[in-house]
Amino acid sequence: MAATGGAILEARALGLRFGAVEALKDVSVAIRPGDVHALIGPNGAGKSSLLNCLSGFYHPWTGAVLFEGRDISATRPPERARMGIGRTFQGIQTYPSMTARENILTGFHTQMTGGVFAGLFRPPGAVRQEEEFTARAEEIIDFLELEEDRHRIVGDMSYGLRKRVDLGRALALSPKVLVMDEPMAGMSPEEKGDIARFTLDIRDRWGIPVVLVEHDMDVVMDISDRVTVLEFGRIIAEGTPDEIRGDERVIAAYLGGETEAEEDAA
Amino acid sequence: MRPTGIWFSSYAAEARVLETARARIWLGLLGAGLLGLPLVSGTWLLGEMTNLFITLIAVCGLFVTVGMAGQINIAQSAFVGVGAFTAAKLSGLGVPVWAVIPAAALASGVVSVLFALPAARVKGFYLALTTLAAQVMFPIVILALPMSWLGGLVGMPVAPPRLFGIGLGTPAGLYLLGLVLAALAVWTSYNLPRSRIGRAFRAVHDNDSAAGVMGIPVTRIKIAAFFVGALYAGVAGAILAYLLQFVTVSSFTLFASVWYLGMLIVGGLHSPLGPILGVIFVTLVQEGLHSAGNAILQSGSGLGGGAVFAASSVVLGLCILAALIFEPRGLAHLWTQTMTAFRLWPFPRN
Repeated sequence: MAATGGAILEARALGLRFGAVEALKDVSVAIRPGDVHALIGPNGAGKSSLLNCLSGFYHPWTGAVLFEGRDISATRPPERARMGIGRTFQGIQTYPSMTARENILTGFHTQMTGGVFAGLFRPPGAVRQEEEFTARAEEIIDFLELEEDRHRIVGDMSYGLRKRVDLGRALALSPKVLVMDEPMAGMSPEEKGDIARFTLDIRDRWGIPVVLVEHDMDVVMDISDRVTVLEFGRIIAEGTPDEIRGDERVIAAYLGGETEAEEDAA
Repeated sequence: MRPTGIWFSSYAAEARVLETARARIWLGLLGAGLLGLPLVSGTWLLGEMTNLFITLIAVCGLFVTVGMAGQINIAQSAFVGVGAFTAAKLSGLGVPVWAVIPAAALASGVVSVLFALPAARVKGFYLALTTLAAQVMFPIVILALPMSWLGGLVGMPVAPPRLFGIGLGTPAGLYLLGLVLAALAVWTSYNLPRSRIGRAFRAVHDNDSAAGVMGIPVTRIKIAAFFVGALYAGVAGAILAYLLQFVTVSSFTLFASVWYLGMLIVGGLHSPLGPILGVIFVTLVQEGLHSAGNAILQSGSGLGGGAVFAASSVVLGLCILAALIFEPRGLAHLWTQTMTAFRLWPFPRN
């Protein structure tokens, strides 16, 4: 069991099955404030299943998901977004026909007010609110260095820029914790460097803890405060990057070889 | 792109549609010209313009439902019909025009929500079929209701509109009513894309699963998109009722719904400029065909009216096909591209 003390987002003894496949088995992870927490593991280890349990796409069969100490296992993704669990997606999930700034503004949906009437007639209050949230969107644009692209249609942008817009939209939710699913997959080393820098700044300047699934081990080891390693739906190791680097079972899981202990036994 | 030399000192100024004094002057001149038209124009042109305004309002509604929210709707004509019958009924009860029009809008909105409830759960082809059901059921329901309610097969007379004691039943009065409400329709459809709910419509259009995760209530937004689109249809229906002076179910056909969609596609689905350009372009083509058709009919070539009617449908179909193949973003995009090229000249547009 992971320690409960001070965790903002916590998975407690999660179990999840797809038919005969046991995707998660007794998985417990605690995300602490101020951490960049990486989930790693070989393909099919259950990283995405765990992430989807945290953001509400999957509902675990056993165990519970706790947010700020409250059991949120039964809630759905939109509710979790409102509570303060922001997420970015694998691949491209931005709104392609809208500009970068409009994409980010949609992230404020739950914080803004005004429905059909305000939309149609644009009363002074709505204009003021637009102005206020545009200014906040501009802070995010400034942070993600999207100034040149704020009015570009996202569908015309490069992959790396779209991922940045996706991140900006997640930040607009003013999340208390940010869940990132493979933020660097398919990126050039420069783009990866940018995202790594943004991730650390999100932790330090915005004070938002980050949970991420990522395959690039160099980046993970460089930026994470804590690493949880999964294999076949179980946690095989958890600790600081240095501890994980030296862990025999992790090496075995990644290299596919036998551990020294197993070799000795053979 | 913007012309050079335009800078903003506030986000509200940046969000304005008319950015320059020159643009505001041009729009003012256009408005003055349209307001003054009844002074110089004959009855025929005023009637044509009123029809154009009515169509424009209905297509602005489609821009919201189909263009912004991506919810295909081939029942707009039925929603116009709901507005028209509501206006006919209320005007018969002596309700003044300023109350009839919002009531007609609301009636259409409410009816559209009835169909949007199931529609919000289906997408694409199935959604098209659900809205088609609304279009097909509209005359059936009207005919099935008691004659004394909505006139049944015979239809209903509409009392001429009066506003503050002034009769608006004249061609000029109806024209001005249409002009003011069309201006309102255009203004609101320029407002929506820069609003919270408008962005939610477009987010649902672009990627509804991501929108849901971002805290946007997808089903409610889809229903709201139908509701708002039908509000416009209700307003269009009310003016149409006053113009026709008599409403029957045969005025609100599937055929008209398809024309509305065609105009939106030709004009452009993704810009509030689309409905304006599409309605003007298609109306001009229609009128051109009517004149040509009349000339053919009178020339004694042996072609009947049926052939001319068919020809106009074929030409509309060709317009839609041409728009989809050559410029899927419609005349509105062509317009912005031309303006960009003009502003960049002599440099090439990339």
